[in-house]
Amino acid sequence: MTQYAFAFDVTRCSGCMACVVACQDQNDLDAIEAVAFRHVTTSETGAYPSARIDHFSLACQHCGDAPCVPACPTAAIHRRGQDNVVVVDRDLCVGCHTCQLTCPFGAPTFPEDGRMAKCDLCHTRREHGMKPACVLVCPSGALDVGPIEELSARKAKEASLKILKSIVATSAGDV
Amino acid sequence: MRHGRLLILGNGGAALSAARAARASGYPGEIHLASDVQGPAFNPMLAPYFLKGALPWERCFPFGPGFYDALGITCHFGAAAERLDARSREVTLASGERLSYDRCLVATGAGPIVPPVPGLKGSNRAFVLRTAASARQLEEAIPQARSALVLGASFVGLKVAEILTRRQIRVTLLDCADQVLPGGAHGLLAAAIQALFERHGVEVRLGCAMEGMEGAGKGVACHFTDGKVEAADLVVVCTGVKPNIDFLDPLQVRTDQAVLVDERLETSAQGLYAAGDASQGINIISGKYEWLATWENACLQGRVAGRNMAGKGACYPGSLPQNIGPFFEWTYAQIGDVKGDVRVHGHSVLHRFFGSPSEGRFLVLAFREDVLVGANLINCARLAGGLRRAIRERWRWEGSAQDGLTMEGVEKALRRGTDDFRSRSGRKRFGCFSRS
Repeated sequence: MTQYAFAFDVTRCSGCMACVVACQDQNDLDAIEAVAFRHVTTSETGAYPSARIDHFSLACQHCGDAPCVPACPTAAIHRRGQDNVVVVDRDLCVGCHTCQLTCPFGAPTFPEDGRMAKCDLCHTRREHGMKPACVLVCPSGALDVGPIEELSARKAKEASLKILKSIVATSAGDV
Repeated sequence: MRHGRLLILGNGGAALSAARAARASGYPGEIHLASDVQGPAFNPMLAPYFLKGALPWERCFPFGPGFYDALGITCHFGAAAERLDARSREVTLASGERLSYDRCLVATGAGPIVPPVPGLKGSNRAFVLRTAASARQLEEAIPQARSALVLGASFVGLKVAEILTRRQIRVTLLDCADQVLPGGAHGLLAAAIQALFERHGVEVRLGCAMEGMEGAGKGVACHFTDGKVEAADLVVVCTGVKPNIDFLDPLQVRTDQAVLVDERLETSAQGLYAAGDASQGINIISGKYEWLATWENACLQGRVAGRNMAGKGACYPGSLPQNIGPFFEWTYAQIGDVKGDVRVHGHSVLHRFFGSPSEGRFLVLAFREDVLVGANLINCARLAGGLRRAIRERWRWEGSAQDGLTMEGVEKALRRGTDDFRSRSGRKRFGCFSRS
């Protein structure tokens, strides 16, 4: 069955947070970090002259074998049949926070009503032919969405092209 | 290939996860399930939430009533396993029925421990909270009660104390230990949680046990070791659980606190598996066989056992002591080992504290030789998943004792491993979960 997922290109992300704001707007979330479905983390590594700053935009990964699914005591967290996206039936959530304990990405959030909420890969938008809000708004094209096989094939092609270009450039330099 | 009979003993998370995994692995043979409980399977973890009113009764059965038919399971309900002969591969049920098997899973769960206090056992005012029937009995008793005594300041004990308080009952919470959550909370956080319960009107009495109970009918008189005598309309016993494995012959199957299993969830007897609260596997932190009973562990263990019983190769990486839940307006989580008993582990534990109860967030991390081994969290549950992963993978934090470490720094490090905080072994130990 087709598994939909996000693709994220760390080399393109500028840390502008547009994805976070678009997600909050799309899902009518309060503008506070604690209940945001998407987070951007900045990582500084190395030291001058090889210091490096990377930005990571992370939401629910809709994991292939999502640990939150078997852990949920009411089976509120489950997979949608159409696209294998991990979704939550909020009416079934008792607010036990077990999903928060199992998710290494910190994806589950608990708004004021005490029931879990998280990214659903904007399945309503996708069903109407639109991209998820975060993907649509990303100015540098760092975020994408699609069937995981397609995303992987595209990544592999991009990586191959990059290697080929570097070989061509090196060969040209040698001449 | 001949597909023998799979026999599953029990009707809980481990049992049904095993059946589902066996079918998902393509197992076409007979699957039989025997349990003293009539289906569908009740989740004991949901009992407090049912009493709290967070979930209607019919939703306390997460696998649903149609599960057995959908998977082609032959059910033998209403009779517990009375004897298991691992040599002849045969189980005798309490009804006298005999079931032979090729591979059998012991997933009989655990039952509540009632301390040997005179007058307690068998009293119509004493309740436990484990099975569907016990949850209904307590639910029926609550509306008539004005005062209650909760025995045991465990996770369940605290939840019950909260629920009864919310339902306008005067609660006394009793534990013979010197702190609440004696199993997994650091003393400072335990004190903060105790203060929270006291602010909500719960009387917490520690270092004190009940030594007798008198009376019946509407109320009872409870005698304590400190000489006091108090009346209560009901007594809820939350002093722990023990595995339901009395039907096994210890000469045939190796047991300790529960049935000892390897990483394939196989016991010392050939063709016999165990999962969930009836099994005892490896604790990832200590590397020792420990009994760690949670719903999540049970479901994951059941899944691995089911795959192996179906002839597939699957491994369970081990369990971690963990618990999370809301207490009044707070969310509390405990992961791994924050206590750090030097006599047991041979190394002293360094505790780092972040925030405070008055700030609304409180986090304690426990390091053993710079390796993260445990965490307690109040109102910062967003970090719980990242911390659990770091503890499972034995992340090392170089210079964990140095100043300048902040809660925000910890959060950032968990989101994206930094140069300071990295896997000790370099290899992923989150083996049970594969990401696409």
